[in-house]
Amino acid sequence: MRKNNCEEIRRELDELLLDERCSAAADEHLKDCSACREFYETRTKLRQIVGSLGTVAAPPDFDFRLRARLADGSSSAGVHYWALARKGLAFAAVLVVFLTGIIVVRNIVKQQTNREVADSKPVVPQPSPKLVAPVAPETASTSSPLTAEVQESTPVRNKTERLVLTGPRTKKHLATIDSAGLGARVISGTEAVGSGATAVIPIDASLPSMKFSLDDGNGNARTISVPAIRFGSQRMLPNGNQFAQKGIW
Amino acid sequence: METLTTIDELGFAPALQEDMLEDTTSDHALLEATRTGDQDAFAELVSRYRNQITSYIYRMTNDYDGAVDLAQETFVRVYRAADRYQRSYAFSTYIYRIATNLAISELRKRKRRKLISLTGFFLPGDGGEPKELNPPDCRPLQDSELVDTERRNAVQRAISTLPEKYRAPLILRDVDGRSYDEIAKILETSEGTVKSRISRARGFLREKMRAYL
Repeated sequence: MRKNNCEEIRRELDELLLDERCSAAADEHLKDCSACREFYETRTKLRQIVGSLGTVAAPPDFDFRLRARLADGSSSAGVHYWALARKGLAFAAVLVVFLTGIIVVRNIVKQQTNREVADSKPVVPQPSPKLVAPVAPETASTSSPLTAEVQESTPVRNKTERLVLTGPRTKKHLATIDSAGLGARVISGTEAVGSGATAVIPIDASLPSMKFSLDDGNGNARTISVPAIRFGSQRMLPNGNQFAQKGIW
Repeated sequence: METLTTIDELGFAPALQEDMLEDTTSDHALLEATRTGDQDAFAELVSRYRNQITSYIYRMTNDYDGAVDLAQETFVRVYRAADRYQRSYAFSTYIYRIATNLAISELRKRKRRKLISLTGFFLPGDGGEPKELNPPDCRPLQDSELVDTERRNAVQRAISTLPEKYRAPLILRDVDGRSYDEIAKILETSEGTVKSRISRARGFLREKMRAYL
């Protein structure tokens, strides 16, 4: 109880200003408690020493320097803005370099991985691919019906054919010949009409449409456009690489 | 507030006349006038607080040149933020808060830079806490004035070794004689915390100043 009382009295004494008088209760307590009396005397002396520090005066040129500083304010604000802008630009540049680096490294790693996969997987000999090729005029005239299948052992290819491998669908094994820029084969009237034959034309799923130019030899020409062709429920899509397996239809 | 372009536009020292700015003019009114471009009003504010603020920051940092620089920065901030000033607190509370923040910021910068004043304290070889550099003076005492000077220097050094959270309330209370309420507002904390910190600061100081008590 006495300890609690001492704590309260000391707190009260500590909160007093130097020139303030303590309460009557604290005064009574100080008469009886030597520890609190010593505390009070020590604290009072300490506060007197600290209070004696007083105020330090500002230098005589304080106002002049302050005026200079305020007058320089606008320019320093501009400098501050440019400092911030420079920091922002530097940060953006670092970010761009960092992102570019990430992209480059990713591409290099990807290429290396692809190369390693290619090296580790030797090309498995595929079953001889079926080649789709336009029917040669001679073959068309001799075979009956005029359906030609190119011999498997000696595939005959010309510039207009498209080689399609029917093996597993991996990009590595897919070989294509782009014939978009090449002209179509010409079937003369003597070949087709004269012999009463029909021309068999291979249809590739990748062809969006086909055009037939007919000429009767007297300058009368017609062009027939054939849109995407459907066979049953299977649709011939413009880009056959996406969905339909390439082959002979 | 208009932007100042030359030093002469301010010109507060010559323009400061007693009949124009009465002593009874409140700080709030002066700042209000500053906001409208009255440079004399700002000059009056500066003349009222420059010594107090310089002294307070000096007690906090124990570096006079740095204290002058920070005191000027305090007034620059007051001037530039005059438009945003609100009368919720006394102006003295407002300016002391700015000064306290600047002083504490400077102390933290110094701690980061590990700049230790040779006249203040030094780091012991064992890597412990900084200790006060207080070599014993064996010379005979000259007179009481010298003793007082030596004692004041010792107090200033002892204060500069206090942690910053104890330093500011102790200076505001025991050196500047401010009320607990005002100190609490300046330091943006509760009155109870202020009282507790001041009490602990005095306890630390008592240990350091034992030779002088």
